[in-house]
Amino acid sequence: MSIAVEATQEIPGILIELLSAFPDLQEQSCADAMPTVWATKSQIKNVLKKAKNLNYPLLYDITAIDERVRDKRVGQPESEFTVVYQLLSFGRNEFLRIKVALFDASLSIASVSDIYPNANWYERECADMFGIVFEGHPTPYPLMIPSTWKGHPLRKEHPARATEMEPFSLPDEIQDEEQEALRFDPHKWGMTRHGDNTDFMFLNLGPNHPSVHGVFRIALQLDGEEIVDAVPDIGYHHRGAEKMAERQAWHSYMPYTDRIDYLGGVMNNLPYCMAVEKLAGIKVNDRIKTIRIMLCEMFRIQSHFLFLGTFAQDVGQMSPIFYIFKDREFLFNIIETITGGRMHPSWFRIGGVAQDLPSGWDIKIREFLKMMPKNLKHYQSMIMKNRILKQRTVGVGVYNTEEAFEWGVTGGGLRATGFNWDIRKAMPYSGYENMDFEVPTATNGDCYDRAAVRFEEVWQSLRIIEQCLKNMPAGSYKADHPLTTPPRKDRTMMDIETLIHHFVHESWGPAIPAGECCTPIEATKGLNSYYIVSDGGTTSYRTRIRTPSFAHLQQIPSISRGMMVADLIAIIASIDFVMADVDR
Amino acid sequence: MNDIGTSAVQSTWLLNVVNVVAILVFVVGSAAFTTWVERRMLGIWQDRYGPNRVGPFGVLQVLADMIKLLWKEDWVPSFADKFVFVVAPTIAMFVVVAAFAVVPVAPGIGVVDLNVGLLFFLAMTSLGVYAVMFGAYASDNKYALLGGLRAAAQMVSYEVFMGLSLMGVVMLTGTFNLREIVHAQEDGWFFIPQFIGMVIFFIAGIAESHRTPFDLPEAEHELTAGFHTEYSGMKFGMFFIGEYVSVLLTAAMMTVLFFGGWLGPTWGFLAYIPPVFWFLLKAGILVLLMILIRGSLPRPRYDQLMAFGWKAMLPLAMVNLLITAVVVLL
Amino acid sequence: MILYLVLVVGLIIAMLAGPYFLGRRRVSRAVNEPYECGIVPVGSAQYRVPIPFYLFAIFFVIFDLEAVFLYAWSVAVKEVGWAGFIEALVFIVILLVALLYLWRMGALDWRTTRQKRDRARVQPR
Repeated sequence: MSIAVEATQEIPGILIELLSAFPDLQEQSCADAMPTVWATKSQIKNVLKKAKNLNYPLLYDITAIDERVRDKRVGQPESEFTVVYQLLSFGRNEFLRIKVALFDASLSIASVSDIYPNANWYERECADMFGIVFEGHPTPYPLMIPSTWKGHPLRKEHPARATEMEPFSLPDEIQDEEQEALRFDPHKWGMTRHGDNTDFMFLNLGPNHPSVHGVFRIALQLDGEEIVDAVPDIGYHHRGAEKMAERQAWHSYMPYTDRIDYLGGVMNNLPYCMAVEKLAGIKVNDRIKTIRIMLCEMFRIQSHFLFLGTFAQDVGQMSPIFYIFKDREFLFNIIETITGGRMHPSWFRIGGVAQDLPSGWDIKIREFLKMMPKNLKHYQSMIMKNRILKQRTVGVGVYNTEEAFEWGVTGGGLRATGFNWDIRKAMPYSGYENMDFEVPTATNGDCYDRAAVRFEEVWQSLRIIEQCLKNMPAGSYKADHPLTTPPRKDRTMMDIETLIHHFVHESWGPAIPAGECCTPIEATKGLNSYYIVSDGGTTSYRTRIRTPSFAHLQQIPSISRGMMVADLIAIIASIDFVMADVDR
Repeated sequence: MNDIGTSAVQSTWLLNVVNVVAILVFVVGSAAFTTWVERRMLGIWQDRYGPNRVGPFGVLQVLADMIKLLWKEDWVPSFADKFVFVVAPTIAMFVVVAAFAVVPVAPGIGVVDLNVGLLFFLAMTSLGVYAVMFGAYASDNKYALLGGLRAAAQMVSYEVFMGLSLMGVVMLTGTFNLREIVHAQEDGWFFIPQFIGMVIFFIAGIAESHRTPFDLPEAEHELTAGFHTEYSGMKFGMFFIGEYVSVLLTAAMMTVLFFGGWLGPTWGFLAYIPPVFWFLLKAGILVLLMILIRGSLPRPRYDQLMAFGWKAMLPLAMVNLLITAVVVLL
Repeated sequence: MILYLVLVVGLIIAMLAGPYFLGRRRVSRAVNEPYECGIVPVGSAQYRVPIPFYLFAIFFVIFDLEAVFLYAWSVAVKEVGWAGFIEALVFIVILLVALLYLWRMGALDWRTTRQKRDRARVQPR
């Protein structure tokens, strides 16, 4: 089996510039052709500062890889734990991956949260998951795992299944201990209990609260109704999806991805499939691409519909969500006709989709496209023209483009600040280059505009679906490649070789060639990607899921300080997240 | 206090008892019924069903809910101020039901005919804020406290011009007696000359019963359940029924003050329909209107609500008063 | 009337007593915590409340008391005639001026500084 790495034609400009400043950086070529360099622990801050000056305003992700049992690391420096920084430049239209090798003996590295503020949470997550110490971190407390947790889940020695651990029990003493550990300690976060002439109230908003869209907690410091400070706390929905990837076959991990952004359905399958396909060297045909786009845009509409409904509901407008759900239901029926599933069809496959489109698949879609414009206009005027809603949301939760960069905000939240950037246009994937659509933007970057942008995006998604409908190419629904899953059956019974091949693929799943790959897409809520490290086995060596919601939550304190509790609810409603997408 | 002053209720003692019991049962019963109407109507307006399983059209849902509440645990939080905690829902229910005593439903139907009926109504509704405050403070819960603070601020603010908005009607009739006010409308209902007053009263009435868009004290999306966060079982039920009686009360008072009470058309066969029917019809339409408002409007922010009250409603109520006085004097 | 009030009180007592006898009692650990979204709270809910809330109380006392004078005038508006109207007019104008003063002072604007700033920062919709 050959290691299929797409050769990069030329060295990207950023690498030349970085290497001229830091000659000792070591290059690495990855399957995704993303410029990748290895820096040393001592120079990481300077490298990142330089990169930021070289027009990389957005820290896309920080994660780590436990390299201790990885075999195929040809051409990479010695490392036990690798910290991976990913940056995004809009001007250069390019990502940049910077890696740092660390060793178990001194597992620490300087925090970069003073260069990129949103590094804060990413570093805390790495510390939780791998035990890496980030020196100089302003709030080095556990984020994802409870403070009482023993061990670091994403280390290879940490058990992955319940059967590898003691049976779970929760005696009263332990429960008390756990609860006590959750009690908010204002002092720890540098808050005082008293103001000049008032006492502050410390209020837990969530995890069990109607407006936090899942299990999300914000500890608030309140002066009356005014929010003095806020500390978001996440991890209540953490399921270890990244850990699961390390023991699920490539193919059987697909259903887990659906449940990351559980409103995105097959939209989650796409970045995973594309990354694995790139590693495996599978090229999919236009029909597959178009089917995928069509389904993804349907799910974008689904997700935006839910967002818009709950947005109105959270500011107290009760009815729109019910009207919107009726159309959402119609769309679900279409999805059900095509995929057999509704919210989580897990329908994409490595190298294709699960089945071909059923005959007559277009009838209901046509009906949908016909009825939507009228309905959508109705919802748009019902929600966006309401004066009370405007009062509640205009000028609330305001941030500009620079602030959005600082906090790693992508998707509609970024475009609402007037920044016209959509990765479907900038770095088209899966055939978006053939689609005709616009990138809606707004100007204020407040709650109202974030909702307005999403309404416009629904219009654009309808356009894209219509184009898919009109121009659905002919062809197979599955790529003609040995690593395509599930394996092809047609020649199975011809000879023993193909039978064995089929049997092995069916039972163990394919072995994907070693390599690293990350293919970001414009998911429902912003940039989403699966950074996959394969060691040439039947499971992933490391799967890092970068989700937009995570970044959006981190920004909450900066836009809600000085506002009122009611504004916070509007802000939460407007930033579009689901907790499963945050915690993974 | 019975039969003080003049009275249309000049009946025997027994008739009086029947009257009183009937009204009490009717008020509490229709408050419960209103919860069903609301859920059902919202369902229809929102393209869904609403409760439709228990009994015909789901109407027995109310009964099922009541039975459920009766069998719920009678729970007072250990951290609460126990006495005040129990008293609060009692006040909530008492004041609104008691205020109903002065509502003249129809000739011969009504608990009492007070000369100062209107003042009694204002006095009783203004006591409602105590229920919310006591409940909130006794709960020793932060959400409840925030709800309570909001409620107190909102209710006292809206109370100022609630009273003023009614004074236009008083000027036109020269009395606080509700029956006389109804009789004064035989030539024309007051919602035409007192249109501004009616609108202000309607808004204040919704605010006093803290319903959407004025449901900030219990805004579910912000304060979980607001001032009654710690309440459960029948004590929560009393706040709940209190709210719906308050809705009925607002509708009934609107009917009496601005829509001619029990007065109906006097021509043709319509004249033979008993007056109580007209009263119920008008009040019912107003209740539906309040439900429709709940289904359609979002909730303003606390400061916006206050600013609306003090900067728009209060001056408007005063100006309305002056204009009415000029008209009356001319 | 008294009968009515007695019946109301009776009904309320019945509603309170009903569940006392009918409802079952359970002891469980979590019920003795104030509800704060499932997290053990910090501090008590009985604390010094910020001053803006007291402003309402004071405004209420001022304006509602004066509104009560207007109740008395309303019921006798025909009897006191134009003379009474002038007096009431002066009274109402003083009230409105006071309201205007409060308005201008910003006492009726409960927005926070950030709310005002951010609102001014964006274009109206």
